Amino acid sequence: MTKAIERQGFPVTQIANLTPIAKTVGANRIVQSFSIPYPMGDPKKTPEDEFAMRERIVEKALDALTQDIQDQTIYKVDMG
Amino acid sequence: MKKAVLYINQFFGQIGGEDKADFEPEIRTEENGVSQALNAALKDIEVTHTIICGDNYMGSRQEEALAFVTGQLEKIDFDVVIAGPAFQAGRYGNACGIVCKTVQDKFGKPAITSMHEENPGVDLFRNDVIIMKGGKSAAAMKKDIAKMADYLNRKLAGETMGCADDEGYFGRGLRHQVWPQGEAPASKRVIDMLLKKLHGEPFVTELPIPKSDRVPIAAPVKDLSHAKVAIVTSGGVVPVDNPDRIQSASATRWGRYDINGMERLESGVFKTIHAGYDPAVCDANPNVCVPVDAMRDMEKKGKIGELHHYFYSTVGTGTTQAEATRMGNEIASKLKEEQVDAVLLVST
Amino acid sequence: MKLKIHNFKVEEIRFGQTDSFENGILTIDKEAALAVVRNVRNITEADLEIVNPGDMVRLCPVKEAIEPRSRTDGRSIFPGVTGDVDYCGAGEIHALKNCSVLVVGKHWGGFQDGLIDMGGEGAKYTYFSQLHNIVLVADSSETFEQREQQKKNTALRWAGMALAEHIGNIVKNLTSNDVEEFDFEPLTKRSPEVMKLPSVVLVLQFQSQMENPGYNDLLYGWDTNHMVPTFMSPTEILDGAVISGSFMPCSSKWATYDIQNAPIIKDLFAEHGKTINFLGVIASNLNVALEQKERSAIIQANMAEELGADSAIVAEEGYGNPDADFILCLRALEDKGIKTIGLTNECTGRDGASQPLVSLDEKADAIVSCGNVSELIELPAMPKVLGELESLGRDGLSGGWAGDEKLGPSVRPDGSIIMENNAMFCGDQVLGWSVKTMKEF
Repeated sequence: MTKAIERQGFPVTQIANLTPIAKTVGANRIVQSFSIPYPMGDPKKTPEDEFAMRERIVEKALDALTQDIQDQTIYKVDMG
Repeated sequence: MKKAVLYINQFFGQIGGEDKADFEPEIRTEENGVSQALNAALKDIEVTHTIICGDNYMGSRQEEALAFVTGQLEKIDFDVVIAGPAFQAGRYGNACGIVCKTVQDKFGKPAITSMHEENPGVDLFRNDVIIMKGGKSAAAMKKDIAKMADYLNRKLAGETMGCADDEGYFGRGLRHQVWPQGEAPASKRVIDMLLKKLHGEPFVTELPIPKSDRVPIAAPVKDLSHAKVAIVTSGGVVPVDNPDRIQSASATRWGRYDINGMERLESGVFKTIHAGYDPAVCDANPNVCVPVDAMRDMEKKGKIGELHHYFYSTVGTGTTQAEATRMGNEIASKLKEEQVDAVLLVST
Repeated sequence: MKLKIHNFKVEEIRFGQTDSFENGILTIDKEAALAVVRNVRNITEADLEIVNPGDMVRLCPVKEAIEPRSRTDGRSIFPGVTGDVDYCGAGEIHALKNCSVLVVGKHWGGFQDGLIDMGGEGAKYTYFSQLHNIVLVADSSETFEQREQQKKNTALRWAGMALAEHIGNIVKNLTSNDVEEFDFEPLTKRSPEVMKLPSVVLVLQFQSQMENPGYNDLLYGWDTNHMVPTFMSPTEILDGAVISGSFMPCSSKWATYDIQNAPIIKDLFAEHGKTINFLGVIASNLNVALEQKERSAIIQANMAEELGADSAIVAEEGYGNPDADFILCLRALEDKGIKTIGLTNECTGRDGASQPLVSLDEKADAIVSCGNVSELIELPAMPKVLGELESLGRDGLSGGWAGDEKLGPSVRPDGSIIMENNAMFCGDQVLGWSVKTMKEF
């Protein structure tokens, strides 16, 4: 889906846990998520810490949209 | 008796050589060298017409050439189209490929051609058309014709056809499960492959690794603080009643959901229907997958101009690439209408 | 470790006044067996039926298959699961062959359940159509999950295991002429002739995707999600150390029966000392966070290296995100110079055109492929159904659906069905029986 949407000209950041899969399939802007069942969640954190992590991932993903990259790029975030 | 229409170029149509490559297409009922050879090899199938077209004409005036071909085919009763064989001739291979694909798409009838593996037409059309593996030059004419004829004889008689390797055509990238006669169980096949690999002997993997397919990198967002960003997900987050009845696996449907006025997604209002992962955390807080709460904060902080008021959702597990591409295309069209600037796509 | 499996081949199963096994005929006291089942917590209803190869019977939703076995020394057949935790892998065990206990839901199915046709066109899609089966059709009071797509199926599965041991006890005190011996010598004490042979280790990636307990494969009763790769004797696997879970889309699932009989292990034993030096099993898993996948890949590769493995076979119980673990393990081994063979199935979509594994690497150059979870299968109605056929479309079985614009519902009013191979019970037989393969068209 990422590729179909990007082919139409939209910059897309994919937030995914299995970055090797996202890369193989061909996404260009990839931000690593925390896990598969809760990409931007962590039941072990307090709600505040979890929200802070979610914001860090979202912010990184938004920044990736503005980057003029030359090749597939995977961004990592401090999960805290 | 089934009816075949043959497509050949100016050379095999005995019009002329390179000097006649611009030959405007014609349809004939008289036999020619290729149709004769085919008729000798075909069983219960007869070549009734031959379309002859110059390779350059097809190359540079493709629309008109194809319009001629389809126009003629509309007027006659036919069961199959045979093109070539094209051997190594690039323009001819391209012509045969596009003719066969057009016939299949427009008439839903089978078409077949033959080319040498180095013919550029192979890479262009192998996924769409049955291209028999052919010889390098016209010296292979008889052999290539025999192969095409044998395939058609069985196929049009209603037989179940074998895989690409068994039948001798270039694989179309479609992988299916089969029960080959006398196939050893998987554990024995593993041992066999293991011993060969250990001893440096040749072996054939059952799963060749395909080449990857890439998309040109879309231009970055110039001014994020004024941009409208949409969330799309394959994590299956939907309103709790799943109004669009999106499937929990092998999805063919997607939905878009209005989040106007919502500061976050509430548990009990939204949930996930994706069957491929443990839903507990997402159901308790759907924002872990569709981060409306974080994106609202980004809006407030002025990081983005606007969070788009719809999020788009489907389910990724088991869903085919073809369906995912179709859904992605449909969603992209909507995003265009809704003047979205960029997308965050969350997968699970 | 030396394991002896005393085999008792079943040719016919009957219900009768008393339990017995004689001349291949297994007679079961139905009421006594049902009493054992009803004793299992949360079982509300239960019945038993016998089905044989060729019978025109369809079973759905099938949750588990178990080979009936018993021990003579007081250990349960699944230590840590149905009895106290105890050793597996050495000593004696008695097994009733050519048969299995099949656990079928009376009503409720789920993503992880499947279908078996004992006869007709559909029989070829599962291994169990070749066996004589004691079918437990049961229901439980586990209402918390009745409408859930993901089911632990705890009551039914534990009832199945209890039943399998109860039936296995019928041959507990009998002797057999058909004894399989698996002698797995300690690695450092092998003869020079064996040490000269190229060595191989078998990595088994057990399903462990769920983070809540009750769904994953268990190793000596321990949730495989909560472990790192562990070196084991292959005799432990054959001897009940690992049981199947309740999550995996069914054609990729390794039933407990599959694990008890793992053809890949038996074939490696057959070659051991002749063409290869079989170094044993690395029990690995398929967790859902990338870091956990990477950790397992690292540990199994290090382990294989220090075992001195020349080669490794990696078998994956799953498709989709577990393909990442599969490829990570293969690549980690190849990077250490260990030659790998992969053993798995594919998901190429109904049209056959999708990428076969979600993750790929050129280093994975030797793979045996057992089937396509996405293959569309259409089958006629069967005169008899055990379970509830509607569950295929209603309850979210991985290869069934309630409605589809092009294909209609999975279960049609006349009882004929259209489904994906995904819901064929353990259909891809990845642990070794599969005579299916994948070809390009």
